[in-house]
Amino acid sequence: MSASGGPRNAVGVTGRTYPPVDFLIEADRAAEFARTIGADPSAGVPPTFAAVYSLGVTAPQLFGDADAAVDFARLLHAEQEFTWTRHPKPGETVTSQGRVASDVSRRGIRLVSFETQTKDEAGEPVCRSKALFVIRS
Amino acid sequence: MSERAVRFTKEQIAAYAQASGDLNPIHLDDEFARSVGLPGVIAHGLLQMGLMGVVAAEAAGGPDKLERLYCRFAGMVVPGDVVTFTAERAGPAKLDLRAVNQKGEQVLTKASADLKE
Repeated sequence: MSASGGPRNAVGVTGRTYPPVDFLIEADRAAEFARTIGADPSAGVPPTFAAVYSLGVTAPQLFGDADAAVDFARLLHAEQEFTWTRHPKPGETVTSQGRVASDVSRRGIRLVSFETQTKDEAGEPVCRSKALFVIRS
Repeated sequence: MSERAVRFTKEQIAAYAQASGDLNPIHLDDEFARSVGLPGVIAHGLLQMGLMGVVAAEAAGGPDKLERLYCRFAGMVVPGDVVTFTAERAGPAKLDLRAVNQKGEQVLTKASADLKE
């Protein structure tokens, strides 16, 4: 038992899976994103547009989950990995599903590992996002 | 080797906020950012990663060559900072990536990319 009497390693919302979210990759939106990162807006969808079509559509489900109780003001994005099977094209609709891979609290620091799988209209994999969030108490 | 030095501005951070949809006020509102203990608005980690990805794609021979991109967000980036992003071959299908600010501090660490052969 910890000094406070509370659990030393709360399991939080480990394993929680959120409903899949569809996202239409609009050419204009991808081009605007490309310009903000200094990429050629005519060169298609920048790989890190996955920050929008994969992580960006699913992370708000975690942040809005009352059970997960993520304090947005104390949240830090600590690590990020994107792995692509292929890069999507403008005009495609992709579907992303987020899952809390682990949620561990230790000495006032909470670590939430959040994974998102993104698939295309045929159900084939496009991208996997793994984000590590740190929430200070 | 590919390299790009970027001077961060409030306008660029605000543009990334709009384009990405991440409108957290720590990136947009100095007063709010200070109220949560930050020096003022800070750049999105994912903006830094986006810039890193562009340099990685250049070193890889095109964005379609990127199979995996990873980094740790190790340091805060604020408007006025100049960050130099570097991508260097570390094997037939691997890039070592670095992002270092004007003080010589690494703002992204353990950054790497895997490429399609």
